[in-house]
Amino acid sequence: MDLIIGGAYQGKLDYAKKRYGLDDGDICTCTESDGISFGHRCIYRTEEFVMWCIRSGKDAVEFLEQHKEEWKDSVFICEDMFCGVVPLGADMRAWREMTGRTCSYLSSEAVNVIRIFCGLEQVLKCG
Amino acid sequence: MTIFISGGNKNGKSGYAQDAAVKLAGGGKLYYVATMIPYDDEDRTRIERHIENRAGMGFETLEAGRDIQKVFDSADESGTFLVDSTTALLLNEMFPNSHSEKADENAAQRCISGLLEIARRAKNAVFVSDYIYSDAARYDEFTEEYRKSLASIDRALAQACDTVIEVCAGNLIVHKGQLP
Repeated sequence: MDLIIGGAYQGKLDYAKKRYGLDDGDICTCTESDGISFGHRCIYRTEEFVMWCIRSGKDAVEFLEQHKEEWKDSVFICEDMFCGVVPLGADMRAWREMTGRTCSYLSSEAVNVIRIFCGLEQVLKCG
Repeated sequence: MTIFISGGNKNGKSGYAQDAAVKLAGGGKLYYVATMIPYDDEDRTRIERHIENRAGMGFETLEAGRDIQKVFDSADESGTFLVDSTTALLLNEMFPNSHSEKADENAAQRCISGLLEIARRAKNAVFVSDYIYSDAARYDEFTEEYRKSLASIDRALAQACDTVIEVCAGNLIVHKGQLP
């Protein structure tokens, strides 16, 4: 499993498509309302999966651990949302906190971790 | 040589960009492309502080709040251009009359083509942007459109420039190319 992280609109998905030769059918785009669908080569918008977890009272890391076999060869893409001020809203705070834990968990499980900055790759972990 | 600089706010991007531009110019023509159009006293104070910071560095100031490629009407291409910042330029292009009106949807594309023209024609150019993409928030439509537009400009410049630098607490992270 690989993890691609970076701020909004930095070109994370474009990078993943190129690096792994993905087409649209390979990509699961997570949403706040429907969560995640395993079995895809690429899990995009991991932060929205985390929001779905919050809305449905689940812990994202526990949920991922339970389904590890289904995503162990996938590429996760997650937005880096950790550099702003602490959000005022409790649900935004919970979202940021759980997304942070999820990224740290995925990062520790990942073979490669790549940060995308303005479309350029920065290798953070190379397996 | 062309350099693209980004990073969080108040990290020393402008200061480094000025030093880099002076170095690149090597005594030749040096232009500060001022993109900020002041709307109130707070803006005017900020601009005055920037002018003071640049005093004695040898910059000639070119005002270009919009249509940035027009700097070539009065400047010499063989000079060194410091564009600070793409953030202000985009704001002016998106909201041409005031900050409250409907955003111009062609603004980002206009900024990209103007900035890339500078990158292509100028002997040396240094571009400064702001990294505003890593916070946990659900923004309104305008703010989200602004972030998305600025990111598209950043990515175009990062691709075109020889060197890409992220400034973090005054330190330089080189993402592409070599330092000047």
